[in-house]
Amino acid sequence: MSGNDRIADLNRDYAERYGFHDAEDYLLKAPRGISHEVVEMISRTKGEPEWMRETRHRALDLFLAKPLPDWGNTELLASIDFDAIHYYIKPSEGSERSWDDVPENIKQTFERLGVPEAERKFLAGVTAQYESEVVYHSIREDLEKLGVIFTDMDTALREHPELVRKHFGTVVPPGDNTFSALNTAVWSGGSFIYVPPGTKVDVPLQAYFRINARNMGQFERTLIVVDEDASVHYIEGCTAPVYSEDSLHAAVVELIAMPGARIRYTTIQNWSTNVFNLVTKRAKAYERAVVEWVDGNIGSRLTMKYPAIILAGEGAHGEMLSVAFAGTGQHQDAGAKMIHLAPDTTSRIVSKSISKGEGRSSYRGLVKIVPGASGCRTNVECDALLIGEKARSDTYPTMEIAENDVRVEHEARVSRLADEQIFYLQSRGLDEDTARLMIVNGFIEPFVKELPMEYAVELNRLIELEMEGSVG
Amino acid sequence: MAPGRGPMPLDEETVRRIATRLEEGEAGVAARLRALEVYREQPLPRRSLHLWRYTDPAALMPDGLGPLPAEAGGAPGPVPGRPAAAVLLRPGEHPGIEGTLPAGVTVEPLDGGDPRLGRAVPEVRGPFEAMNRAAFDAGVLVRVAPGTAVEGPVWIRAASGGGAFLPRILVDVGEGATVTVVEEHVGGAGGFRIAVTEILAGPGARVEHVPIQRLDDGARGHLTVRTVADAGASVATSFVSLGGTLVKMDLGARLAGEGASSELLGFLLGGDGQRFDHHTVHRHEAPRGRSDIGFRTVLTGRSRSAYTGLIRIEQEARGVEAYQENRNLLLSKEARADTIPELEILNEDVQCTHGATVSPVDPDQAFYLESRGLDPVEAERLIVGGFLEPTLARVPGGVRELLEPVIAARLEALGAGR
Repeated sequence: MSGNDRIADLNRDYAERYGFHDAEDYLLKAPRGISHEVVEMISRTKGEPEWMRETRHRALDLFLAKPLPDWGNTELLASIDFDAIHYYIKPSEGSERSWDDVPENIKQTFERLGVPEAERKFLAGVTAQYESEVVYHSIREDLEKLGVIFTDMDTALREHPELVRKHFGTVVPPGDNTFSALNTAVWSGGSFIYVPPGTKVDVPLQAYFRINARNMGQFERTLIVVDEDASVHYIEGCTAPVYSEDSLHAAVVELIAMPGARIRYTTIQNWSTNVFNLVTKRAKAYERAVVEWVDGNIGSRLTMKYPAIILAGEGAHGEMLSVAFAGTGQHQDAGAKMIHLAPDTTSRIVSKSISKGEGRSSYRGLVKIVPGASGCRTNVECDALLIGEKARSDTYPTMEIAENDVRVEHEARVSRLADEQIFYLQSRGLDEDTARLMIVNGFIEPFVKELPMEYAVELNRLIELEMEGSVG
Repeated sequence: MAPGRGPMPLDEETVRRIATRLEEGEAGVAARLRALEVYREQPLPRRSLHLWRYTDPAALMPDGLGPLPAEAGGAPGPVPGRPAAAVLLRPGEHPGIEGTLPAGVTVEPLDGGDPRLGRAVPEVRGPFEAMNRAAFDAGVLVRVAPGTAVEGPVWIRAASGGGAFLPRILVDVGEGATVTVVEEHVGGAGGFRIAVTEILAGPGARVEHVPIQRLDDGARGHLTVRTVADAGASVATSFVSLGGTLVKMDLGARLAGEGASSELLGFLLGGDGQRFDHHTVHRHEAPRGRSDIGFRTVLTGRSRSAYTGLIRIEQEARGVEAYQENRNLLLSKEARADTIPELEILNEDVQCTHGATVSPVDPDQAFYLESRGLDPVEAERLIVGGFLEPTLARVPGGVRELLEPVIAARLEALGAGR
């Protein structure tokens, strides 16, 4: 086997390696398929206020009226059987605060994900989403003292209804796209964070997500509001077990950065390679606010995810740093959008992708500057690494510039894992495996160095495992 | 033209009338009618496709093909430089051809039944291409025998008044032959120009193609140009877009044979409310090809440019090097540039980069020139002139002569246009 063929096997064998698959034990499982009855059941079970119930029903009408996207991987999209999906599963009663109260089988799963490890360290709070409902939730006391709200969305809707109602759907309206409409109709779980003015949350807040049921949909809804001159770093990570039937994940994430606020949102998704990950993530940044997406796409069969930042206030800054890894059978269709609505706003996109075997990664992005938004600067860099004769890379960047006093730059490079580089490293005494690993690590280094330490270690370990398994 | 309409109505009788007027035989009529079927089955392209994101295809559709003008044989008239041949295309007429051609080169009317038609631009490409294939009302075939080198360009001028004009050009260049073809679009005020050009570059052939769009104000157009480059062939395209009110230009090459190369350089100078939409494509179908795209726009007034550029490298096209660059200079507050440079790479053995920029004149460059005593307007003209140089530097002599006064007049207007 050539080195490239061996690398082409990266990302297989989830079952042996991670082996999560606990027997299903659910208190409430909605019937397959979607209808107003299902939406009604979800809303009533949760005991939601009237406005949310109505919002869900309106969103369902929008979803039913909207066609699937006619761009991107339309073939894979068309293969989703929306009628075969459970739109709601409730695993156990209520939300627990203490780790000891979390059911044993769920704990075992999280043990493998390393949640307790993280807990013992410096993490502020853990929202572990097992299926559609948050089952475990702890908040450090000092966060509460600061007035920071960090809870699951369902709890937030009960305990802070006015805050949720004020911001819910303002950044991603229900009718924004087909999947945001679906999410709004059937959302369940997700995180809610509010940081009061001037408050700097100096430890990252995290949540872990998992899918663990046949044909189970995950429609979490996250809303983060950071008030004036406050800051927060939120981390969302997923790992999922392997299943034979396709699974749909359609989350909506809304971030609001008030004037002078700062939000960093870090995600590494590692869904199993049967999951459709069709996510809408968008942030609104007011005057001088800074929003950063740090986004890793390792798993899933098809990911379509284009985190956006609307730079609505003068001097706002948006940043996107992403890495995508597509093995055989995977299509990572990811990118970023920067919408410059105000003068002197700046943005930067750095996108790294690796396609191996018959994997396909696509960068799809938008940079838009409206008339009057003078003094804007934006820079986009896309780097693609191809490993394998049939690996595929696409770049679809869109720039719409309606103001002349601006500076817009876009640059993309596509290259292979070069034999010369491997040869050079081998001539310095490294074996081939190590040489390849080193080149791949070097390639994603700008991304890895932005991750919190334990995430960086985890990602490096994952890459290392994949490379070891493939060059054996 | 109100946008939002469907394709232009086109019937069999109209197609037959055109074929009869051009004295075509049964083969020509039959081929045209087959294309008519394709045309009728094609809806207008969806706006969600990048290719049509910024231009409504309905806005480029003529109302219909009116009666052909009364018979009047035209002469091409003088063209600058020392062309090998000058050709005039006018609606409903056989081409007017002047010049003395070397042995091995023929320039003659294009017949609708020519089996090479559609090889580079198949009618399924889109409604405009299918419409032209069915109903082109003037056409020229340029053939260059293997091993023949043609000195001086074959200069083809397509001219019309109002109404729709559907010219078609076919250039067939034999193995190892060399030729330069200038394609100049003029006139067309208030009308529609739906043009298709196909260039077949045989093995090792060297072809220079110079499409120049200087249609009248008020003209609309859709111009498609495709080259098929066989093994070892090299194609250099230098395109210039200056005129018209709303013009879409779709240029590209299929690198079909091993070691083929294509270089596409061009610019547009837009002013007032002009709208331009350019698409370039390099499709690598064979190993060890090389391609380069460099497209520059200079936009003043309320002019607007949309650009989509694609490099596609197929799985079997290994060892390919491909580059693409799009630079946009916005010289007024209301000018607007949209750009989508796309890559689709289906194998790992490639070297490929692309870049795009949008900005005003570089203030550092302007400052430098002003510090040498130039006033700001002069400095800007000088910088813009330099920006256009890569394309201007390689067009044939006559083309440069033709363009220089036009460009000078545009640059002259720069200071006032803001």
